[in-house]
Amino acid sequence: MSDLLELAKKAREVALGQGAQFADVALTKGRSISINIEKNGIHDASEKTYTGVSVRSIVKGATGFSRSSGLGVNDVLETAKRSAEAAKLAQPDPDFVTLPELSDCQQVPGLYDEKTAQMSAGDLIQLFVKEIDAAREISPGVKVQGGVRLGVAERALVNSMGVEVEDRKTKVGFHIFCIVKRGDDVGSFYDFDVARVEEDFNPQGLGAKVCQEAVGFLGAKSVKSACLPVVFGPLVTSHLFDALCAGAGAEAIQRQRSYLVGKRGQRIGSKLLTLRDDAYIPQGMSSGSWDGEGAVRKRVTVVKEGVLVNHLHSCYTAHKAGEENTGHGDRWGGVAPTNVIPELGMDTASEIISDTKEGIYVNMGSVTPHPVHGEISATIDFGYKIENGELAYPLRNTMLGINIFDLLNNLDAISSDYREEPGMIMPTIRVQNVKVAGAD
Amino acid sequence: MNDYLESVRDKAKRRGVQFMDVRLFEEDSTTVMVQDRKADKVSQGKSLAVGLRVLMDGAWGFASTDMVDSGSLDQCLQAAWEMAKASTVRVAHPGVVAEIPPIVDVVRAEVEKDPRSVSLQEKVKRVLDYEKAGLDCAGDKLCNTIVSYRDSWTCETVCNTAGTLIEQETIRVTIGTAMTAVEGSIRQMAHEHFSEQVGFEFLDRISAQDFTEKAAQRAVSLLSARRAPSGKFPVVLHPSITGLLVHEALGHNAEADHVFNGGSIIEGKVGEQIASECVTIMDDATLPRLCGSYRYDSEGVPGQRRIIVEKGVLKGYLHSLETAARFGVEPNGSARAMNGHYTPIVRMSNTFIVPGELAFEEMLEGIDEGIFMEGGHGGYVMCERGQYTCHVGEGWMIKNGQLGEHLRDVSFSGMTLETLMNMDAVSKDLEFLLPGRCGKSGQGMHINAGGPYVRVKEVVVGGQE
Repeated sequence: MSDLLELAKKAREVALGQGAQFADVALTKGRSISINIEKNGIHDASEKTYTGVSVRSIVKGATGFSRSSGLGVNDVLETAKRSAEAAKLAQPDPDFVTLPELSDCQQVPGLYDEKTAQMSAGDLIQLFVKEIDAAREISPGVKVQGGVRLGVAERALVNSMGVEVEDRKTKVGFHIFCIVKRGDDVGSFYDFDVARVEEDFNPQGLGAKVCQEAVGFLGAKSVKSACLPVVFGPLVTSHLFDALCAGAGAEAIQRQRSYLVGKRGQRIGSKLLTLRDDAYIPQGMSSGSWDGEGAVRKRVTVVKEGVLVNHLHSCYTAHKAGEENTGHGDRWGGVAPTNVIPELGMDTASEIISDTKEGIYVNMGSVTPHPVHGEISATIDFGYKIENGELAYPLRNTMLGINIFDLLNNLDAISSDYREEPGMIMPTIRVQNVKVAGAD
Repeated sequence: MNDYLESVRDKAKRRGVQFMDVRLFEEDSTTVMVQDRKADKVSQGKSLAVGLRVLMDGAWGFASTDMVDSGSLDQCLQAAWEMAKASTVRVAHPGVVAEIPPIVDVVRAEVEKDPRSVSLQEKVKRVLDYEKAGLDCAGDKLCNTIVSYRDSWTCETVCNTAGTLIEQETIRVTIGTAMTAVEGSIRQMAHEHFSEQVGFEFLDRISAQDFTEKAAQRAVSLLSARRAPSGKFPVVLHPSITGLLVHEALGHNAEADHVFNGGSIIEGKVGEQIASECVTIMDDATLPRLCGSYRYDSEGVPGQRRIIVEKGVLKGYLHSLETAARFGVEPNGSARAMNGHYTPIVRMSNTFIVPGELAFEEMLEGIDEGIFMEGGHGGYVMCERGQYTCHVGEGWMIKNGQLGEHLRDVSFSGMTLETLMNMDAVSKDLEFLLPGRCGKSGQGMHINAGGPYVRVKEVVVGGQE
């Protein structure tokens, strides 16, 4: 039993002693190292150490929440006391039944790595310096920005239903942004690498790749407004599928503010579309065996062959719906997906592009639906015009608009190949009949 | 606590650093969330962190902790020192700091009714009253109602090797609402949001009519609005969109750290005409009570009114101590940090286009087919390419100089320099309607933005029709 867990249990007793009918306590302790790059050199390196406690007390279904920085015993116990006092002032919610109960959880391997935890600022700096040099070999005038961040965190969570869990995780992330100029013409691009363990952390080669992509965005043009097929690259697809699974969160659906209200059991898109939420992928960035409330996470198929088959639940929403808790709750009543895994298709991304006579390729950027009504209206920040099955020229000042259900129904290809980051499978997809607005 | 800060500052001086500052940041906050007629979530928070920055051999190192005592500060200094030492491996542009006169000051928040003196019961009651008013005016078409309240007290203490020691308190009150209406298969949401540096008396100034009733009515009216068209259109922008546009499209480009990095479309253009002559843009940290205002920035430099563009000509950038030294200009108090765990970076305060002389109706004249856009939802910019995106809450078609069909929320996009040159009319109004936080480098910072109604000859609208 760690010190964190012991302290959390003391805080739980204080909250219950102050009148809370249910209580949970989460303690965190961590450190991070960040390196910031500006204009081809290091601007600064920083080290942060942090601690924090959050206590949730429930009285007649009303929630009082209190949080504070620091793990001094008196401060933690005072935080627990304040949460119980706040709960007594909030209004009862008859839909609240209980907090998650104690149950066995399967551990996810590879979420903590001692080698990663031991990386120094010097190690991280060396990684980036090599990528700056590689970018400059591609384009000597390139301006490189970005950074590396290493995080090491421990968490403990206890509740009044017997849950007592703790874990520790490592995370290292590298991001690089290159800007190239030719007169007033500017090309830019961004990419990243993330990992929980050292063996998955491979930013080598990103400097050259990103610089090459930035050069490719020189000479961008807009297009005439038209209705076209749009091919979404892996990073766009990943955001879109994550947003779709977030939309299947039961909290927003029960509260009637989601475009997926009343859609369970119905076809919402093409038969090609199957999405699973899986928190148990080893070394996954969103992996973990318990959610923000201490409930055991479940694997969930959210969309099966175009049909919305399941909602994602917290303890509260599961009881309200009379369904099993899927373990997707956070500490403030919200519901969120973990690793979203799509079923793959038959053709490669190259084949999908070469099969598109005229269209748009969107390399990167956020193309996600409004969470309430599902309309999409987005700028194509990093995209190309497709002509005769090839990327013809980069785009500027071009937008797209479509409703999420039209997008999902007009989905006619998912690639067999994909980009992979730990816990993330990111294919390319194609959608027919998208409104494309241009300045031409 | 100030003794600890001065002590560690003096230790840094003895180590021979070029510059060092230490900032202590404390916050107390209360949040009440009302949803669907119940204030079932009440939250209280306390945080404290100290961040310490050193400049040594042209390299910056920073360390932060939430353990604030003499021993922890000594460890922080050592950690920052080691971080700076590690950074010396590849410093392409040695760090510099503009010289500033030392300032010793204490700034107390002056409000009529300190929210900390108001009972939680009273806060809950007021938020419930707001929600009830929204529900009463919109009937049964509302399917979800959210009203939130937050107050915070913060105190930032800045101590540096130039001799500055400033303690600055702030009290803020923020209220927001999101109302969702439904009819058949159509579901629409509308927001309202207010935030100022005031006390609890703020709630006496914000009527339900201007807040929850307005959002509820808009959510209902959007049910019968049509989807926006797709393509190029002339537009007239409501002050809320003017603020969003000027913040995203130009403001971020005027942050001198972006300019230095080669990441700004207005790099090297000071003295040049970058906007039409009817456009004057300011960033003003001195406007009373506004969300983005402050007496001193996080480096201890007084907040100021800064002219960015005057009659279309670029006059200058927003600066930190470091960028001011790099550009050889006076610091203008634009560096702020979200809390003790972050370093100060260049930020906007309250950014706006200065009003002109036209009335709103005159702005519509001469537009055969265009769009009037209202309700800034958010946006972003790719500074280096000068391409921005603004998300708007609703719109109306303009036909032959008259407002026509109501449109749902949509986004529009453009190229900063083209849009600034295409602004051809500015109204006589001035409103600041974008109080909130702007994200940059992982830090959310309080800002506001606004201006008059502005007409732009052409933007790209990403509609679905």
